[in-house]
Amino acid sequence: MAEEAKFKCLRCNHEYTDSYDPDKIEERSCPKCGSNSVRRLKEEASKG
Amino acid sequence: MTDVGRHPRIELLTYSEVAATTGFVGNFNVTVRRRARYVDEKECTACGDCLEVCPVVVPDKFNIGLSTRKAIYQPFPQAVPSAFVIDMEACLGHNPIACGKCLEKCEKECIDYDMTDREVTLNVGTVIVATGMDVYDPTEQDEYGYTRYENVITSLEFERLINSGGPTEGHLVRPTDRRQPERVAFIQCVGSRSQQRGKPYCSNVCCMNTVKDSLLIKDHWPETDIKVFYMDIRAFGKGFEDLYQRSKALGVQYIRGLPGEVEEDPATKDLILSVEDTTSGQLEQHRADMVILSVGVEPRRDMESLKGLFTLSATSDGFFMEAHPKLLPVDAPTRGVFFAGCSEAPKDIKDSVTQASAAAARANILMSQGRISVEAITSVIDPEICTGCAICANVCPYHAIIADKEKRTPAVVIEASCAGCGTCAAECPFGAITMRHFEDAQIIAQIDAILEEDPMEKIVVFACNWCSYAGGDFAGISRLQYPPNARLIRTMCSGRVDQEFVLHAFRKGAPLVLVSGCHFADCHYIDANRWTQRRVEKLWDKLEREGIRPERLQLEWISAAEGQKFAKVMREIEELRKAVTPEEVEETKRILTEKAKKPKKKPKKAKKEPVEVAKT
Ligand SMILES: Cc1cc2nc3c(=O)[nH]c(=O)nc-3n(C[C@H](O)[C@H](O)[C@H](O)COP(=O)(O)OP(=O)(O)OC[C@H]3O[C@@H](n4cnc5c(N)ncnc54)[C@H](O)[C@@H]3O)c2cc1C
Ligand code: SF4
Ligand code: SF4
Ligand SMILES: [Zn+2]
Repeated sequence: MAEEAKFKCLRCNHEYTDSYDPDKIEERSCPKCGSNSVRRLKEEASKG
Repeated sequence: MTDVGRHPRIELLTYSEVAATTGFVGNFNVTVRRRARYVDEKECTACGDCLEVCPVVVPDKFNIGLSTRKAIYQPFPQAVPSAFVIDMEACLGHNPIACGKCLEKCEKECIDYDMTDREVTLNVGTVIVATGMDVYDPTEQDEYGYTRYENVITSLEFERLINSGGPTEGHLVRPTDRRQPERVAFIQCVGSRSQQRGKPYCSNVCCMNTVKDSLLIKDHWPETDIKVFYMDIRAFGKGFEDLYQRSKALGVQYIRGLPGEVEEDPATKDLILSVEDTTSGQLEQHRADMVILSVGVEPRRDMESLKGLFTLSATSDGFFMEAHPKLLPVDAPTRGVFFAGCSEAPKDIKDSVTQASAAAARANILMSQGRISVEAITSVIDPEICTGCAICANVCPYHAIIADKEKRTPAVVIEASCAGCGTCAAECPFGAITMRHFEDAQIIAQIDAILEEDPMEKIVVFACNWCSYAGGDFAGISRLQYPPNARLIRTMCSGRVDQEFVLHAFRKGAPLVLVSGCHFADCHYIDANRWTQRRVEKLWDKLEREGIRPERLQLEWISAAEGQKFAKVMREIEELRKAVTPEEVEETKRILTEKAKKPKKKPKKAKKEPVEVAKT
């Protein structure tokens, strides 16, 4: 089931919120710089 | 099809579906579900006596509901075998027998109400997947009124309507009043080339199908006024431009612009199309007696289960992915499996037949040899070290490893199925797996060599053979400028990059490590790079727990065509490298070296002998 989660780009440090499905592994890219070094910030995850 | 049915060496299983498969190239076991026809197909001569007595009338799916059929029927006139079948959902009932008229009537006694579905298992060496496509349902494009106006039909419905074996015996009539239409409009790209509707690809067949249909109409009813509304006409095949020009010469009008709306005149049931002609910029209205939506094709709705049958993957448009788009265009990533027709991408009959011939030839190469040579790059499991945990079997995209977690027998690699991605070797927690030609020791030696001198100046980059390494090559060939600090270590797949390689690089003083591979949709090993991402995510957590900045481990998906992206990433990560201080690197080395010294728990050894693998 899709949730909202916080993500951080480890290239440009941009933080943003996006949908996240724990059952799916998806290719992610930073909306600001396009990098794929996008990390989900687990402690800030919240149900959408 | 009749030739296929008669061929002594072709066994045609109609009304059947592949339900399950196991095994590998040279040794596939395919379970086929043969649905009950309730008519003996060998005895039935399709005389049609039963049709006369069957009292049930239902819409005929083959004619898209434009005509009717009985509960006992022949799917279509040229069907092979030429035999009837009973639609049990429509039949008045056979248990107990509620009607039984066909049973009484059939002199040859072909009808058997007790027939049941049955499964047969075939042992085959190779498989050709020719499962085709589905046709786009335009209901969601309500602006065209497909479900609201009877005189709006799809190109597939038109195909049946104009066919001499179809519901009107080839007479062109419009549905509301069965009158021959004087004005016919075609709307192109319905369900194709629309990012918004999630179908960004061109369906390949619709333009020429419309050109063909316009010529058919003009041939029979030259006075018909035909308008085609389009974005651009794609007439790229042999002789296609000629057909397109012929259609225009016969007076078919091609108007560049897709209607925003179709409305019905309630009195006449005529249709009014509002459109901007993009060549003149004029807003126009056109009246038609009948509108034909030129619908696109899409991946079959049961693609997920089809993918599971042969461990196949799909490209971003949802059609099956080839092993290599240029060099192995009819091979599936799973050895011994090939593609033909629209299952791989939308294409016309000629291209489907061309691809089918190529697939048959590719399969024949394997079959006629009777043996296969296996790629040298495969994984090998040491039964002395293996604990039988089955993690490797779970991650292998090709189901090339047999392991039994319950019995804890040592895992075994089916070399004929192994594609050499190395994911299993990277995931095995006990180091029981060796990847031939990409052994741990070889990769560790490369890391050591890179970091032997001036490690602070270096960036260790793991690049996969097919995409990111090729992207680097492309950047080089294109003479793109990027900082020279990156040192590439090639692996076949990013799935091979063991977390230990990354930690070893940091232990040896690397300021920055980049793991790179193919975009998800391009993974050459089905979905092995999903494991790369999972592993990098775990590593980020681990680094943070140890007090090491996760930013020092970067991840990037770069395709072979993305030389520009490769150069951009190299410039960006060079900036990140410059921000890493010698003190930070020293601290990382200390933390990770101490951690490596801590004794690990001894793994439980596997209990029994490895399982036997059938020979190919
Ligand atoms: C509206 C329209 C008009 C077209 N007009 C033209 C034209 O004018 N000229 C032209 O050249 N091309 C035309 N085409 C394209 C043409 O239809 C395709 O090229 C052709 O059908 C592709 O053949 P195929 O065998 O790949 O797929 P299909 O024709 O879709 O056949 C696939 C078969 O596989 C079966 N199948 C699927 N899954 C399973 C399973 N698990 N087990 C067993 N069987 C299974 C399906 O039931 C089906 O019978 C048109 C297409 C459309 C939609
Ligand atoms: S120990 Fe390694 S090789 Fe053995 S089953 Fe587990 S993951 Fe596979
Ligand atoms: S190398 Fe890849 S394909 Fe071969 S067994 Fe390991 S995971 Fe499967
Ligand atoms: Zn970013």
